[in-house]
Amino acid sequence: MDLVQHVLNGLLQGFIFAIIGLGFSMVWGILNIINLAHAAFIMLAAYLTYFLWAGPGVDPFVALPLVMAALFVLGYVIQSRIINLVMRASVLTTFLLTFGMEALLVNVALRLFTADNRQTKPSYANVSLALGDLHLPYTQLGAVVVALVVTCLLYLFLDRTRTGSSIRAVGQNKVAASLIGIDLGRTYALTFAISAALAGAAGTLLSTTSGFSPPSFGIFNILAFSVVVLGGLGSIPGALAGGLVFGLVSEFAGTYALQEREVVVFAVLVLVLVLRPTGLLGREGYR
Amino acid sequence: MFGSNGSRRSGWVAALVAATVIGACGGGAGAPGAAGSASPSAAGSVAFSGTILFGAPISLTGSTAKEGGLTRDGYDLWKETTNANGGITVGGKHYVVDTKYYDDESNAQKAATLADKLIKEDKVNFLLGPYGTASTLQVSTVAEKNKIPMVEANGAAESIFSQGYQYTFGVLSPAKNYMKGLIEMAVAQTPKPTTVAILTADDPFSVEVADAARALAQQNGLNVVYYQKYPNNATELRAPLTETKARNPDLFLNSGHLAESLAIMQQAKELGLSPKGFGFSVGPSIPDFQTTLKADANYVAGGSQWTADLKYNGNDLFKTPANYNAVYLKRFGYEPAYQSAESTAAGVAYQKAIEAAGSLDPTAVRNALAKLDFISFYGQIKFDDRGINIYKPMVVEQWQNGKKVTIWPPDVANAKPQWPAPPWSSR
Repeated sequence: MDLVQHVLNGLLQGFIFAIIGLGFSMVWGILNIINLAHAAFIMLAAYLTYFLWAGPGVDPFVALPLVMAALFVLGYVIQSRIINLVMRASVLTTFLLTFGMEALLVNVALRLFTADNRQTKPSYANVSLALGDLHLPYTQLGAVVVALVVTCLLYLFLDRTRTGSSIRAVGQNKVAASLIGIDLGRTYALTFAISAALAGAAGTLLSTTSGFSPPSFGIFNILAFSVVVLGGLGSIPGALAGGLVFGLVSEFAGTYALQEREVVVFAVLVLVLVLRPTGLLGREGYR
Repeated sequence: MFGSNGSRRSGWVAALVAATVIGACGGGAGAPGAAGSASPSAAGSVAFSGTILFGAPISLTGSTAKEGGLTRDGYDLWKETTNANGGITVGGKHYVVDTKYYDDESNAQKAATLADKLIKEDKVNFLLGPYGTASTLQVSTVAEKNKIPMVEANGAAESIFSQGYQYTFGVLSPAKNYMKGLIEMAVAQTPKPTTVAILTADDPFSVEVADAARALAQQNGLNVVYYQKYPNNATELRAPLTETKARNPDLFLNSGHLAESLAIMQQAKELGLSPKGFGFSVGPSIPDFQTTLKADANYVAGGSQWTADLKYNGNDLFKTPANYNAVYLKRFGYEPAYQSAESTAAGVAYQKAIEAAGSLDPTAVRNALAKLDFISFYGQIKFDDRGINIYKPMVVEQWQNGKKVTIWPPDVANAKPQWPAPPWSSR
């Protein structure tokens, strides 16, 4: 029974990890930006969800699309007004730029919101569906639904729509894409905005499962990075698989070698990179 | 689905750089903001003849930002209250107290560097402690090397005081006492617990607390069914909590920090882990514990260095715990946690020692600190040969219906322990 509970713990966590990884993967794969502000976007979304709940009493799952929309706009503005200015520079430039944004956002949040711990706590927060001795937290079950819906929608959008195709085209070859008339700046901004919206979904979900303060989100950059490496850069199913595998590895490392959890998790990461440099589901090309 | 171009290889290189930078910076790159201002005399007729500057690196950002903030507020209240009452008197002259803080970003190495800067560049007269054992341990070395005293209030591990250093003093009770009251309280209840599970963060302070708790639990006839260390600051603890649940302990103890105490309560509820009692070394005494967990904080107990319910009659500016509580609440708008009270007590100890020494000479003040023995609003302040205050007892607090009460020891308690905690399914 414990074993089943461990598997469930790992998988349920994994779906939230997948959402975090998905946004990170998109921006990295298409824009070649390692967005170190991703965790700060998650943080902003968590606070937005919290204030919508603590003030007007908006349920976090109702707030979810609103928060995603807000983060979408923020992401669009940041990419089109700031990052687009340095898109031609080396990857290290955007790396440092987003690192600076992360520091700025976290410290502004610390000033505005203080280091007080908060949690969006509707009546069902931390409450589980009990199946005999097995416990499935409702918010995490909600996260599974959100992760699956968002992943499917994103897949269809990129695969079936004209705008989606242009995003993929930019990911494959920027020069060729601009030659056939794709507006690069606008496509960059749109991609970054979608990624920020995904961070928004993750932030809303996380704000109900755990207590948070501005510094507590830093861990999610490393996590997103690991999920993408595990699953494979530039692959939507890869981000999903990466999240789930990361969740499971982390849970079982935590069960049998808790003190060495980080060692085990990152050893698995290195192993995957050695045996399969493109990650579990990553492929040269796309999809 | 997206992204495939020649720059993938360089992407990985950058990614490795990324991982290194993220790891090195811990995600929080706060500019070391110096705070602190020389407030002009507020004491009416008293004319100050000089300034005594106290410096401290404090974790104002990073994983212990909350605790660091409580520490700073404690120091500030001491500074403001002292200055409003004529400052510190040395040889008949009044000196105004000033403080200078740097943010160590919850990074012990950084705390040591900043302590060095405080001594060498800012020329502080004396050091106040940072937050946490790891940082305090590092700064104690800097204090010793420069022969500048440090009175600290937030590093309780005895490893700080076993180095043979002469210049570091801790006003708080040592780590091994943190769980003592909790265990004694638990075994005095009916139904009496027989088994205990202990989860501890893997840092020097928490491990000292947990090891002492394990020994004490065994002495009290409890069977330790699970003892597990987890990486410092880990807040994903469903795996060890699932293991804990499988062993069905009567008492669950955690030695760690605020963030983990919150995560443990949230995840224990999700997993249906329902021992008869939850006890924490750090967490329940901080207001955030209740404001975050709301009703789920009820029945949870924590070891505490100090509470406003204690009945000390101190020979200092604050006099009683109740008065300290009132002054603090008026100044900051929230009730003090013990982290703030002990920080204020560090300042109070300095004031007594400097006035006794009649000098600002660091060695003279150090010698006066070693001889201190007085009752303050925080309890007795007296240091043993190693520099730690083994003379002040600790208490146990519990959240009951949204209120924090003192439940142990019985002679200072203002409420009876609520035991056993009802299982989550029937709350």
